[in-house]
Amino acid sequence: MQLGYQPGNSFLYAFNPLVKGVLCLAAIMFFSLNSFGVALMAGILAAMLLTAWLGRLPLKEILLSIKKIAVLLLIVSLVQGFRGNGFELEPAFEAILRIVGVFLVAGFYLVVSPQSELMYFWEVVFRPLSFFRLPARELALVMVIAVRFLPVMLAEIDRIRMAQTARGARLGKAGIFSTAAAIMPLMIPTLAQAIIRAEELAEAMEARGYRVAGVRTRYQQYTFKPADIMAGIFAILTISAAIYSRL
Amino acid sequence: MIVLDKVSFRYHGKSETSFSLKEVSFSCSKGPITGIIGRNGSGKSTVARLIAGLICPDSGAIEVDGFAPFNHTGNCRFLAGIIFQNPDNQIVGTTVAEDIAFGLENLAVSNAEMHSRIRDVAGRFGLESLLSAPVNNLSGGQKQLLCIAAVLAMEPSWLIFDEPTSHLDPWSRIIFWQQLKSFARDHGIGVIVVSQLPEDLAQFDQILAFDQGQLAFQGSREELKSSCDSLPWFTRPESWVFEKLSGAKP
Amino acid sequence: MINKLTLQNFCVSYGTKSVIDAMNGEFFVGAVNLVVGRAGSGKSSLLLAMAGFHKEFSGSIATDGDKFIPDGNFSLTFQNPESLFFNPTVGDEIEFSLRMLNFPASQIRSEAENWLRRWGLEPDLYYHRHPFELSGGEKRRVALAACTVARMPLILLDEPLAGLDGSGQKSLASILESLAREHIVVVVTHEPEIFLTPTSNILFLREGQGSWFNGNDFLRQALTDNLFYPLPEWYYTAVRPYKNEPFLPVINAVEVGKFLQKAGQPCS
Repeated sequence: MQLGYQPGNSFLYAFNPLVKGVLCLAAIMFFSLNSFGVALMAGILAAMLLTAWLGRLPLKEILLSIKKIAVLLLIVSLVQGFRGNGFELEPAFEAILRIVGVFLVAGFYLVVSPQSELMYFWEVVFRPLSFFRLPARELALVMVIAVRFLPVMLAEIDRIRMAQTARGARLGKAGIFSTAAAIMPLMIPTLAQAIIRAEELAEAMEARGYRVAGVRTRYQQYTFKPADIMAGIFAILTISAAIYSRL
Repeated sequence: MIVLDKVSFRYHGKSETSFSLKEVSFSCSKGPITGIIGRNGSGKSTVARLIAGLICPDSGAIEVDGFAPFNHTGNCRFLAGIIFQNPDNQIVGTTVAEDIAFGLENLAVSNAEMHSRIRDVAGRFGLESLLSAPVNNLSGGQKQLLCIAAVLAMEPSWLIFDEPTSHLDPWSRIIFWQQLKSFARDHGIGVIVVSQLPEDLAQFDQILAFDQGQLAFQGSREELKSSCDSLPWFTRPESWVFEKLSGAKP
Repeated sequence: MINKLTLQNFCVSYGTKSVIDAMNGEFFVGAVNLVVGRAGSGKSSLLLAMAGFHKEFSGSIATDGDKFIPDGNFSLTFQNPESLFFNPTVGDEIEFSLRMLNFPASQIRSEAENWLRRWGLEPDLYYHRHPFELSGGEKRRVALAACTVARMPLILLDEPLAGLDGSGQKSLASILESLAREHIVVVVTHEPEIFLTPTSNILFLREGQGSWFNGNDFLRQALTDNLFYPLPEWYYTAVRPYKNEPFLPVINAVEVGKFLQKAGQPCS
């Protein structure tokens, strides 16, 4: 099951999208870098889960999706556990906590952020690129469109796969071990359709007044509230703590 | 009022719709629903794109409400919106509201005005409950309504439809024409529909017929009925054939 | 040659949602079988399930009494089949299917050429052309030929005539009718008029419920209930008074004219 935005109404949803993104990054950095030990990390994870529960996030779904990385967790915990002489539980458990922490944080972030907020975050991240004459808002729009069309493209690929299979093409287990020739019946139509789609979309966008260098106002507007400032400070403290613990 | 005066156009590069337009002149006014008909490659889609300002004539002049549509910037009214055949390839935003807002952002409409126009147009098309719905969850019919709503929110003076009914089922076609006629009437928007379906002819008040890049006929439905024998490429709708056979209006 | 395909208690679902309930009926060789319904009525899901691409179904499919397992014995064409092109020539495109299904190499070329001719395109003129260079109608013919060249006993088509102009539709419809004499041809369409004959076998889907009609009864039902299927206004007005006649005319001006004359209506 794909974790994505689920509409909701709590303090977690109300944060400014930039703050959400920064909190997520801070938490990821924290779980990757810190050396506070298993006990503290487990405590922090528990606090995170409590916050998510208070923020009325769909905890059950998010926790169930950990199944998807079960194999990864097993492998990493074994590798870390056997680092020293024989198997030690603590490093294994610590590795699991780190990965689960990062996974949960990313999950929480995706659940509370609709597409437009994710893209706004990316647009702000791209802004420094305008020093190199790269248009940040347009790059963010490119990403919005790519994400919006992803399900459409996937459905199209599926349809092409079925139709070519019905013609006798052997595409059932197409993967990295297929030869280029074997997946031509899938790749060429997919690419051709993507190009046609892009052309039609570009024309439709122009028909609705879009000009690359044009002045555009904003539908989505985000403000900073006191809670956002506090959260921002909290994020900075978290990152500092993680780095400090390493020194 | 739309006026074309000896407009010629040629596509650079080869494609199926690369028919040139050769010195086309006509005018159409708001009020009657104008139909543009012709076979594939006759130039009808080219005319639609010229009116929408997507392309610029090589020679001759085109005016929509007194302005040249190509690169017409939005201080004055948005002239002509065009809605293409495939709704999926016109939807930009990830939610319904965002997509309607896209055109308004391009017109540099203020934020407050944007919100009110979106609410308005969503209400007109029954999309109010779907404003934050992801676009990929909409049905085909809802997507088509969204495309129309998104262009109407820009308050165009004219609305052009490029083959809107060819992929609709017969039930949806009836609903489409009913809705189109009612909002054209209520909002004083000029409507032009490009179509190759013979059945759509019954819906047009004025008809422009194109063949091989030239205007082959301009006039009312009745006039077309009496002169269509001189148009060898023209496919009569079954209803006209039947009328002729039975010698009376059915 | 397989003569009929029988559906028994055939149900199709998507997750918890049932798309088609307990369908029982048959498709035959001899004429084009039609599956008609609005967009979203489940027509395409039915085809996908019959072809084995959609796995969530129950009930059985049998051909002439034997259980039908979709495995290289059917061909399936989706809407806009020309989007499947990936070969540099029309000939390659048509031969692809034969090659993949291990037809004897010496016969592939002649089989492909004959089939292209069957779909109305002369091999001498078209075999070596690039598919993208063709007109819309020609592309459709090549695509339909490429998808059906293996001559499977069951041919499933989803809106094969969508987007074509009137004369293109008529011509392709008659090719499908000739195919239907030797194969079980099932066409999913929301516009059956062009295929409709008094003896057509029609499965009408509405919100997952299927009803079977022959052409005559389908027309009669549409004449009785406007919401059932929107017939063209001229036909509805002209034929409605005679809806209880045993044999109704197809939706063609000349045929309706003849029908009305026989029924006693003055027709000049």
